[in-house]
Amino acid sequence: MSKPTDLVQGTLDLLILKTIALEPMHGWAIAQRIRQVSKDVLQVNQGALYPALHRLEQQGWIEAEWGESENNRRAKYYSLTKSGKKYLQSEQANWERLAAAIGLVLKTA
Amino acid sequence: MRWLRSISNRLRNLFRKDVVERETDQELRFHLERQIALHAAAGISPEEARRAALLEFGGVEQFKEECREARGVNRIESLLADVRYGFRSLRKSPGFAIVSVLTLALGIGANTAIFSMVNALLLHPYNFRDLDSLARVWEDRGIDEGYDARYIAPADADDLRSSNGIFEGLTTYRFQSFGLGTEGDVQPILGCTVSANFFDVLAVTPAAGRLFSAAEEQTGADQVAILSYGSWQRRFGGDPQLLGETISLNGRVYTVVGIMPKDFDYPVPVELWVPLALTPAEKVDRTQLSLNALARLKSGVSVSQASAVLASFSHRLEQEYPKTNAGRATTLLQLRKELYMFTLPLFLLLQAAAGFVLLLACANLANLVFARMIGRQREIALRAALGASRSRLGQLFLSETLLYSTTAGVVAIAASFASVRALRTSIPVGWTKWVPGWDGIRIDSSDLAFTILAAGGVGLFLGLATMLHTSRVEPNKTLKETGTGTVTRAKRRVRSALVVAQVMIALILLVCAGQTIQGFVRLANVYQGFQPASVLKIEISLPEKVYADNVKITNFYQQLLRGTTSLPGVQHASLVTNPPASNVDNETTFFSIEGQPALKASETPSADLQIASPDFFDTLRISSVAGRTFSDADNADAARVAVINRGMAMRFWPKGNALGHRIKLGAADSTEPWLTIVGVVGDVRQNWWNPVTRPVIYKPFVQSPQRSMTLLLRTTSNPTSYASGVRDIVRQMDPGIALRGVNTLEEEIADSIAIVRIMGILMGIFGLVALALSSIGVYGVLSESVAQRTHEIGIRLALGANPRDLMKLILGQALKLTAIGLAIAVPCAVAISWTMASMIFGVVTVDFAILAGFTALLLLVALGAGYLPARRAIGVDPVVSLRYE
Repeated sequence: MSKPTDLVQGTLDLLILKTIALEPMHGWAIAQRIRQVSKDVLQVNQGALYPALHRLEQQGWIEAEWGESENNRRAKYYSLTKSGKKYLQSEQANWERLAAAIGLVLKTA
Repeated sequence: MRWLRSISNRLRNLFRKDVVERETDQELRFHLERQIALHAAAGISPEEARRAALLEFGGVEQFKEECREARGVNRIESLLADVRYGFRSLRKSPGFAIVSVLTLALGIGANTAIFSMVNALLLHPYNFRDLDSLARVWEDRGIDEGYDARYIAPADADDLRSSNGIFEGLTTYRFQSFGLGTEGDVQPILGCTVSANFFDVLAVTPAAGRLFSAAEEQTGADQVAILSYGSWQRRFGGDPQLLGETISLNGRVYTVVGIMPKDFDYPVPVELWVPLALTPAEKVDRTQLSLNALARLKSGVSVSQASAVLASFSHRLEQEYPKTNAGRATTLLQLRKELYMFTLPLFLLLQAAAGFVLLLACANLANLVFARMIGRQREIALRAALGASRSRLGQLFLSETLLYSTTAGVVAIAASFASVRALRTSIPVGWTKWVPGWDGIRIDSSDLAFTILAAGGVGLFLGLATMLHTSRVEPNKTLKETGTGTVTRAKRRVRSALVVAQVMIALILLVCAGQTIQGFVRLANVYQGFQPASVLKIEISLPEKVYADNVKITNFYQQLLRGTTSLPGVQHASLVTNPPASNVDNETTFFSIEGQPALKASETPSADLQIASPDFFDTLRISSVAGRTFSDADNADAARVAVINRGMAMRFWPKGNALGHRIKLGAADSTEPWLTIVGVVGDVRQNWWNPVTRPVIYKPFVQSPQRSMTLLLRTTSNPTSYASGVRDIVRQMDPGIALRGVNTLEEEIADSIAIVRIMGILMGIFGLVALALSSIGVYGVLSESVAQRTHEIGIRLALGANPRDLMKLILGQALKLTAIGLAIAVPCAVAISWTMASMIFGVVTVDFAILAGFTALLLLVALGAGYLPARRAIGVDPVVSLRYE
């Protein structure tokens, strides 16, 4: 098995936003979800997740609330704000355009 | 919304720091616990699971710090720390703090005060709606000067009103003196007769009552009046029942129909306005330019478009009525600009000077800050070595300089309230009416905004300059050095450049100030050709109704003159239409010289016209140049005579043979009588802005009596003590006559140039401040550079150098910098002086003596600034100075 791919610079934000778009989640669950959904290809550096979460909260894309976790512990749950949803849409569209363009270049060049 | 959330987050992060920190701890711990549980579930020992989880997570403390960074806590915290540090270092060196804050406060405060003046006088002289579309309109005959000569003929104004598409409205007015009240208690007041649309054109509404209707422009229907707010308060005690009541003006009964709001005082603060009811003859008159006109331009019509339309309008009139309208150009000037035609360049000069003072203050402070930076080199190197980034250091400097400049801004604002009050009360109350907007000088929001901008700008500028100045700190090198740190060549060059700039600005400012002050001093002495001391001035106006014909007017004034001459202590009593320093231009008139017909209408000569009684020239001690002055023999039945001034004699009879020639007012074929020139008298300046040698024709009072005259008395002692005597005489002759403008001629002169004097004083203050600031600056830099060479000087002395040579070396350095500054400044100062001289109507003249004087002065200052520290350094025992570190 090859080494899990390092995250491309700047894509962590996008992954976090997309992951919590469905339901509010705490940090650990976000890391697990990204890993599972990407079938272990994307390995989030666990510690680095938190500065990213705090930054996104500071920028107002996401908001945090303390709640009960699955195992009855207090955990900080993150969810998208209204402007965060819009931001995610535009970022996702950007990413898809970029990925498609790179794919095109790789196929034809 | 997003930014709102962001701000509330930020505030929470800042003020609930401990809570936020605890939450972060909790959050990370939760993560680790879950991860450990995950591994434990896979069946490894608890210790192993813990180790694996921590390994996967990475450095916990490091990420906590990154979280803090992400929340933006550090930036604000460090800013606060910097400001605290700034305060601490200010407290530690209070001398430096006080000097820098005061220097800046001086610079900023000077700008605030001048800006408040410019703001009130130039930007908002009146608070009319859409001030820029209001303009004065007049017919320029090419001979008139000054703003009292801006008149239009009634018929021309009528044509203009009805025939063009550029004006929304055009209104006419003229001043009139009234006697208010009934016999025995008549108060002289100044009023204004205005056409019915006057207030509509200005777009003002009365505070109470109504405006005039068009029907009230007819004689007979015109006995209605609108009072000014001040007049209503002062004379009628603010009586709310006054509307509809009647008052007596010049013996006629007027109904009060309106009261204007408090701040309305156009054209000048008058007591009341009445309708302008022209006689049928006046209405069709094109010869006399007798009315003032004010127009509001249609929106979208520019001044230049309007001027073009007016030019073709005057051309049409010229062709239609060549006899009266030849050579007249209808002219228009925005109301805002009209007032300050003469003084605008002065205001701009003052603002520029204030700006220069601020620049000097900045240069000075930059020097001080740089000098301190050298002392702080080790501290900065240490910070850099400990990992402070350049932007982090920049933030430190910026917060320090912003701290100075904001403190200075606060001091400046506090001081400007006082200085603006001083400014406002610095001209006599009676004269503020000549300066619309003067009473409005105060610190308002735009002045505060200006000050805050200036303070912020200065702080930013200084901070950036410091940043650039200290950009290349080499911690390794600096920290290894011992002692006071060294100054690199590049840095010394920056500071030398500052000295050069300071010397430069100082010289330019000093020369401008010097020349302006010299100009003002000259202005204060412009009233030459007569002696104002011990002369009393009283204005008298006879009501038209009672004094309907010349005989009555002449009799009244003859009796008055006889009565006042016989008062003990009165040497001469006389009458004149317009005494010097009245702030009113003389009436100008065309005249024809017998035997020298003008070829074209535009070449007809013109002169000022004055009417005077025989003793006038003796009263003011105006010298007689040739021939005689008037005598009692020049009465109504005698041959018509005139006296002219020297300027007129020189211009029209350069060979000196003016006596005996005959002139006639108006065209040669008019019905005016020929006047024989019987005398030539010395030139007298009418007002400070009038050229002194302007031609003047004096006519004897008895041969052309006027109702409004000014009585002048030359007395042997305190002139004001004679006022009551004159009042008694007048009351005995006619109790219905009021005396106005009782004042000594000397005070009139002082008052008339009050605003000019204030500007001179301000320029003087700026000049002195410039001198002080630049002296301090030059001294500071030189003494410091000498102090840094103490060690070197010690070695030189120990090796046997001649102290005199050393002194020469140090002084040479000081002089070199100063000389460079002066070399740049002298041509600049000359160029600026030329511009000023061309802009400021002869107040300023280029004076090379002043230039040379201040150049020498600055050289002396530099010599002193170099000599004192040099002597100290050389006087020190080499043993001591070698130890000096």
